[in-house]
Amino acid sequence: MSMSERLDSAPTKRLKTLEAQAKEAQRTIDELRARDALKTQFLSNVSHDLRTPLAAIITHAEILREGMLGDLNPKQRDSLSGIVSGGQQLIDMIDEILTYVRSASDQVSLVRTDFDITELVDQVRMLNQALAAKKHLTIERLNGDDLPPVYADRDKVKHVLANLIGNAIKFTPDGGRAWIGFSRRGRDGEDLVVEVGDNGRGIASDNYDLVFREFAQVDASPSRPHHGTGLGLAIARNLVELHSGTIWVESELGKGSRFYFTLPLNPPRD
Amino acid sequence: MPARILIVEDSPFVTDAFRVLLTAAGYEVDAAATVAEAIERGTSAPVDLMLLDLTLPDGSGLEILDALRKRGSLPRATLAMTGHNDSASRRSCLEAGCVDVLLKPVPIGELLRQIERHLA
Repeated sequence: MSMSERLDSAPTKRLKTLEAQAKEAQRTIDELRARDALKTQFLSNVSHDLRTPLAAIITHAEILREGMLGDLNPKQRDSLSGIVSGGQQLIDMIDEILTYVRSASDQVSLVRTDFDITELVDQVRMLNQALAAKKHLTIERLNGDDLPPVYADRDKVKHVLANLIGNAIKFTPDGGRAWIGFSRRGRDGEDLVVEVGDNGRGIASDNYDLVFREFAQVDASPSRPHHGTGLGLAIARNLVELHSGTIWVESELGKGSRFYFTLPLNPPRD
Repeated sequence: MPARILIVEDSPFVTDAFRVLLTAAGYEVDAAATVAEAIERGTSAPVDLMLLDLTLPDGSGLEILDALRKRGSLPRATLAMTGHNDSASRRSCLEAGCVDVLLKPVPIGELLRQIERHLA
């Protein structure tokens, strides 16, 4: 071997090793992607298969409760109401898992239209009114009457709002308040910032990232007072990011939380 | 004569529940679990109202509407039932000729009201 050949061979060898390592890493990535897709499909199938018989159970219990198959005494009726409302709660959780799976998969696409976001906020407020009234909470919309239409996926933005407002109600004690406000950001105000705030129990700054992670709840103990799938904010994050927006929280323990998300007001039109 | 309702649904659990409900409410009930079966049941005797699940083992429930329309056997009303009520699938149901789209599980009070209204 000549001197020059020997000088060449070390970098060549190194290059070959790196190429092999890169190939190996790519193989691992591909395999993990495939497994993740499989897990998503599994979660979706299981959720769907759980939902169907559960829906039938609820219908059967309702038929009995409404006395369609014969008269009932009040205790029997209460017991059937328990089956219906427990079943409905399970359906809601399964739906949240299905929504999460869809929001996290690559196949999800946005169906953008122009719509009035203040009208949407008012609609979600109305839908939550009964829940809020039970806790003597107020849900106010602070501003937004002069906003231009938003070009976004209305169903998905509605889901984000419903999750944030639902959380505000859930984690705010009786007699508290929740609110929704709008502001503009960016050089020409091209981003709409939506704020959903409450004066509830708040979140410690260490947990700001945790709350957006799937299946995470700040209090994950079995005795925690607020149950749920722990997917609400992960879904909200996925749906906001699909719109090229960002979502974050500012909070102080014991004083309340303010969740913010942005939506570009003039995204490229398809 | 009681109105005839055709339940198109691939889950026997759901079909059973609706059969119990609608029979108790005084309707004549028939059921089909596939697109092919639904077309056969829908053409063999006139159907007043169809409860239509969208996802069936051999195709989409909406294909049934097309097939029955071609054969001149379209029910007076079709109520679609789905597990996920997004506005895109809602639109395609209404365009295909459904009178409404209901989210499963449909509260029975609402279901009976809807059926009554569309049979009136």
